[in-house]
Amino acid sequence: MDPLWVTFVKALLLCLVLLGAFAYMTLIERRLLGRMQHRHGPNRLGPLGLLQPIADALKSVFKEDITVSAADRFVYVLAPMISITFALAAFGAIPGGPAGSLFGWNPWIMDLDIGLLYVLAVTSIGVYGIFLGGWASNSKYPLLGSLRSSAQIISYELGLGLSVLSVIMIAGTLNLRAIVEINVWSVSPWLWPPLIVAFGAFVISAIAEVNRTPFDLPEAEQEIVAGYLTEYSSIKWALYQMAEYVNMMTAAAFISTLFLGGYKGPTFLEPWIPGISDWPIIWLVAKMAIFMFLFIWLRATLPRLRYDQLMRFGWVYLFEIALGAALLTGAVIAFVL
Amino acid sequence: MITFAVLAVVLVIGALGVVLLRQPVHAALSLVGTLLTLAVVFVTLEAHFLAAIQVIVYGGAIMVLFLFVIMLLNLQEEATKTRAAYRWIAYVVGVVAAAAIATGALLDPRQAPDALAVSDALRGGSPELIAQVLFGEFMLAFQLVGVLLLTAMVGAVALVQRQAETPGAR
Repeated sequence: MDPLWVTFVKALLLCLVLLGAFAYMTLIERRLLGRMQHRHGPNRLGPLGLLQPIADALKSVFKEDITVSAADRFVYVLAPMISITFALAAFGAIPGGPAGSLFGWNPWIMDLDIGLLYVLAVTSIGVYGIFLGGWASNSKYPLLGSLRSSAQIISYELGLGLSVLSVIMIAGTLNLRAIVEINVWSVSPWLWPPLIVAFGAFVISAIAEVNRTPFDLPEAEQEIVAGYLTEYSSIKWALYQMAEYVNMMTAAAFISTLFLGGYKGPTFLEPWIPGISDWPIIWLVAKMAIFMFLFIWLRATLPRLRYDQLMRFGWVYLFEIALGAALLTGAVIAFVL
Repeated sequence: MITFAVLAVVLVIGALGVVLLRQPVHAALSLVGTLLTLAVVFVTLEAHFLAAIQVIVYGGAIMVLFLFVIMLLNLQEEATKTRAAYRWIAYVVGVVAAAAIATGALLDPRQAPDALAVSDALRGGSPELIAQVLFGEFMLAFQLVGVLLLTAMVGAVALVQRQAETPGAR
């Protein structure tokens, strides 16, 4: 256990790093989208456009902060704060390296026995931000956006929970650090088929949970202006954007931790540089980067689903597939191992 | 003890908000706050698993559905239509019931178990302990509740489907 002040400093640093990463993720996303769509993207401000996020931040702070006069004041202001608070809080349970590897301190904020459930619980509260923001704006399109988002998140949480079940059954623990140390793939090759299916289902559900294309119906700009964001401006709008990107990063880190060995590096590098696979943070960040790229890549590639397709896909296919993977995992553990 | 006192005050205020706030969405939000505070109480008792389940099931799923229905039906502030006499009766019954429960609790000779004993029995709030009780001692009750919920679900679907099944109804 670290002393309390260390935990506090680490939590503060994590928040700052996540928000800094958010600023530069917007630049990376716009540059990558530009590249994929044969255009330049923002490249004027500083070398490679590196000062663009700072200019964007200044701009959104100094814009007029509009509060719709028909809005429910209290909930309208509360909603973006709920979004960003729970988005930042969720990351705290994800371990960044082996015990004591960060200059003698532990590279995580909380080491919970129920770390996995903690992340699921906190992210499921985050939906209130979107949901209440859309309602409090007291306007048609935001309300439609928030109704969509709540229906979508409830539907895809089933797929998410069921695909995690395979990992929980194999690892036999809810502690994220223990799950990384066990390494679910090394238990038995018999478990690979259900794990591959669960991994796929989990990635798809996670994309739906963070409202990214092709599941970005809550803010589908061609249909409902900007969904729940329509009536927000200035810093409140920026808070929602922060929450979205921090949620993406949490999802990427959560996928890596559950399925891809989290903070552990590849062991084949050990003969050259001893101890490299135990270096903290960098391996987790590298794995997260793969998924962040995947999220952006999907946005540039796939069209948005229609609402009924979204619901059918969630309830008819994803739910059954994840359930099948969980049952298969259970059967393999019970009858083969 | 101080933590519990603060949490208890927040809980009671939240619960009162559910009943007293006129706007349905505000009342539902107050309920969300109450449920989350209850999860914090579980955390102070070291019942971590229970706290997480409380947040996931009640905070994350049930209350989102509540709010979904409230927003879908666009419920507005309810004009008080009940007759004044009924309201007085309701007040009296409520106050008497609350007083009776409070007296009953205060006169109960049994001591409330102290927090240390509770957290000892929960053993860090691990899921294994709850699983042992739920799937061992109360297996039959657990399965009966499952059947009950299934019945309710089938009933609800049957009620909705009745219209569509008659030929030519669409």
